[in-house]
Amino acid sequence: MFDRITLVRRQDVPWTARTATFLGGLGFGIALSCLLLVAAGVPTESLIDELVVQVFLSSDGLAQTVTAAAPLILVGLCSALATRVRFWNIGIEGQLWLGAIAAAAVGILDIGPEAIRVWLMMLAALAAGALWILPPLVLKSRFGVSETVLTLLLSNVGFLCVQHLLFGAWKDPNNGFPVSPQMGPAEQLARFGWGNVGMGTALALTIAVLAYVFIDRSRIGLQARAIGLNPTTARAAGLPVTATVALMVLLSGALAGLAGGVIVAGTEFRLTQYLGNNYTFSGITIGFLARTHPLGVIVAAFGVAGMFTAGSSLKVFYGLSDAVVVLIQGIVLMSLLSAQFFSTYRLSVARRGVA
Amino acid sequence: MIDFLVTWLASTPTFATPILLACIGLIVCERAGVLNLGAEGMMAVGAMAAVAVTLTGGNPWTGILAGIGAGALLGLVFGLAVVVLRADQILAGLAAVAIGLGAAGLIGKPYVHTTVTGIARLDIPGLSDLPVVGPILFAQDPFVYIAVALALLGWFYLMRTRAGLRLRATGEDPGAADVAGVDVQLTQLAAVIVSGAACGLAGAYLSVVASQVWVEGMVAGRGWIAIGLVIFARWSPPRAILGALIFGGADALTPRLQAVGADVPAYLMMMLPYLLTIAVLAVPALLRRGGNAEPASLGLPFLRQDRR
Repeated sequence: MFDRITLVRRQDVPWTARTATFLGGLGFGIALSCLLLVAAGVPTESLIDELVVQVFLSSDGLAQTVTAAAPLILVGLCSALATRVRFWNIGIEGQLWLGAIAAAAVGILDIGPEAIRVWLMMLAALAAGALWILPPLVLKSRFGVSETVLTLLLSNVGFLCVQHLLFGAWKDPNNGFPVSPQMGPAEQLARFGWGNVGMGTALALTIAVLAYVFIDRSRIGLQARAIGLNPTTARAAGLPVTATVALMVLLSGALAGLAGGVIVAGTEFRLTQYLGNNYTFSGITIGFLARTHPLGVIVAAFGVAGMFTAGSSLKVFYGLSDAVVVLIQGIVLMSLLSAQFFSTYRLSVARRGVA
Repeated sequence: MIDFLVTWLASTPTFATPILLACIGLIVCERAGVLNLGAEGMMAVGAMAAVAVTLTGGNPWTGILAGIGAGALLGLVFGLAVVVLRADQILAGLAAVAIGLGAAGLIGKPYVHTTVTGIARLDIPGLSDLPVVGPILFAQDPFVYIAVALALLGWFYLMRTRAGLRLRATGEDPGAADVAGVDVQLTQLAAVIVSGAACGLAGAYLSVVASQVWVEGMVAGRGWIAIGLVIFARWSPPRAILGALIFGGADALTPRLQAVGADVPAYLMMMLPYLLTIAVLAVPALLRRGGNAEPASLGLPFLRQDRR
C-alpha cells in the first residue's frame, strides 16, 4: 500500500510545525465533537453558550470549572511524572479510589485531633495512592512485568474495595444510596466562599508549581529527564535509574491518591461509588496535552474541567449521558495523536522508476 | 456439593467465552506487531450495537453481526491511527477505549435495561441429558463451541499457513518481512480490524447471549483481562482456551455461591478474576521461567526508512 509514497522522519521539527499540528489536531477533534453534539440534539446556536459562556464566563460555571480542575491537576501531574520515566500508569483511578478510601477512613474513624484532621486525611490519601502503585512498580522494575495491564487491573480491584465498603461497613444508615456518612466540618477542606473553590484548588496549584521546580530545577528531575530520553544510556552513565524511577512512580501514585482525598474532603464530603469515574483517561489526556510539563498541566486540566462542567449541563438540559465527555476526550486525543504524524514525518512521492 | 460443582462448571463456559473470543483476536493483532489496548472499548461498542440492532431489528443473529461490525469499525479507526499515521499505540489504544465506552454510553442510552431474546443453548438429544457431562459439555450455547473452533483455527492459521507466517514475520521483524514482499501496513491493518471484530463479537456475546440485556459499563474490565491473558497464553490461541476457562471459572464462582445462599463478601469475590490475572502475569516472571514469547517488534511503528 502507498508504495510510491515514502515517509521520511524529520530530523528537526521546527516549533512552528509542532504548534501547527497540535492546533490542527485539537481543532479537528473539537470540530468533530461539535458535529457530534449537534447530531445528538444540541442546537447549533447554543453550542458556544454551552461550551464557552456557561463554562468559563459565568460566575457559577467558572466556580464549578475551577473546583473540578483541582483533582484534574493532580491526576494530570500523576500521569506526567510517571510518563517522564517511561512508566505507563493507566491505573490512576485505582490509586485515586484508595486515596479516597484512606481519606474517608480518617474522617469516619475520627483519627487524630480535629484541628489537623483534614490534613491527616490528605496525608493518608497520599500514602494510600503510593501504596497502590507499589506492586506494579516492583513487578515492573524487578521482574520486567508490563505495568500497563497491572495498573489497570488494580483500578478494578480498587473500585471493588470501594463497593465492598459502601455496600457494607461504611453504608450511611440515613441514606438510601450506597454512600458513606457525611464528613464533619473538621473533615472538610476550607472553602473561599465562591462555589466549592477552596483549599483543594490552592493545594493543587501549589503542588503543580512545586512539581515544576522539582522536575526542572532539582537533580532528581534532571536524572528523570535523562532516564526518559534513554534509560540504557542513563544507566551506563551511572545514574541511579531504579531509585529515580521508583521515586517518580511513587509520587505519581501519591498524587492520584491525593486527588481522591481532595474530592472526598473538598467537593463530595463523603465516599461515593461515582466520585472516581473517568479520572484515568482525563489524567492521561491532560499529561499528554501538557507534554508532561507541570505548568502546562494546570492549563490542560482547566480545559478538561470545562468539559466536565459542560458535560454536566448537557446532561441536565439535553439528556445526554456522562459518556459524552468520555467520547469527546477520546476523539480529541485520537485526533491529536494522529495529527502528530504530520510534524514527525514528511511525505516524499517517488517518481516512477525510481526506487 | 456435586450439584454445586456441576452447575458451577456448567456456567463457566459462558463466562470464559467472551474473554476467549477477544483474546484470540488480540493474539492475531499482537502477532502482527500491533499492541491493541483498545479491546475494552471495542467490546463495549460491540455489546451496545448488538443489543441496539436486536431490539430494533428483532433478530439476535443480526445483532451479533452488528456487534462484530461495530468492533471492526472502531478497530479500523484505531488501525488507521497507529498503522498508517504511526500514532503511539498505547495512547491511541486508550483513546480507542474512551471512544468505545463513550460512544456505547451515548448511542446506547435508549436501550439500557431492556431485555432481549438471546440465542438458545444447544439441546443435543441424548448427549445433553447425560448426568454431569451433559450440562457441562453438551448443553452450552453455540458460541462456546464457535470460540473453541476459532482458537484452533487461529492456531492453524498462524502456525500452519503461509499467510500466518507472513503475519508473524511482520510482528517479529517488519523490515525483513517488507524485504520478503509482505505488505507490512496492509497486514497490520487487517490484523487490527480482525482484533476489533473479535472484540466486537466478544462484547455482543456478553450482551445478547450471556446477559440478554445491555447496561453501561457491563464489559467491566474484561477487555483488559483478555489483554493480560494474551501474555499468559504466550501468544498461542489454544493456550488461551485454558486461560479463559480459569478466568471464566473465577468469574462464575460469585453468582453461583450467591445462588446457593452462601454468605460470602460478594465484592471481594469479584476481585478474583483481576487478582488472578495479576498473579498469572507475575508468577512466571517471579520464577524467571518460560522465556520471552512476545513478538519482537510489538508496539513499534514500522518505517521502511528506519534502518536497524
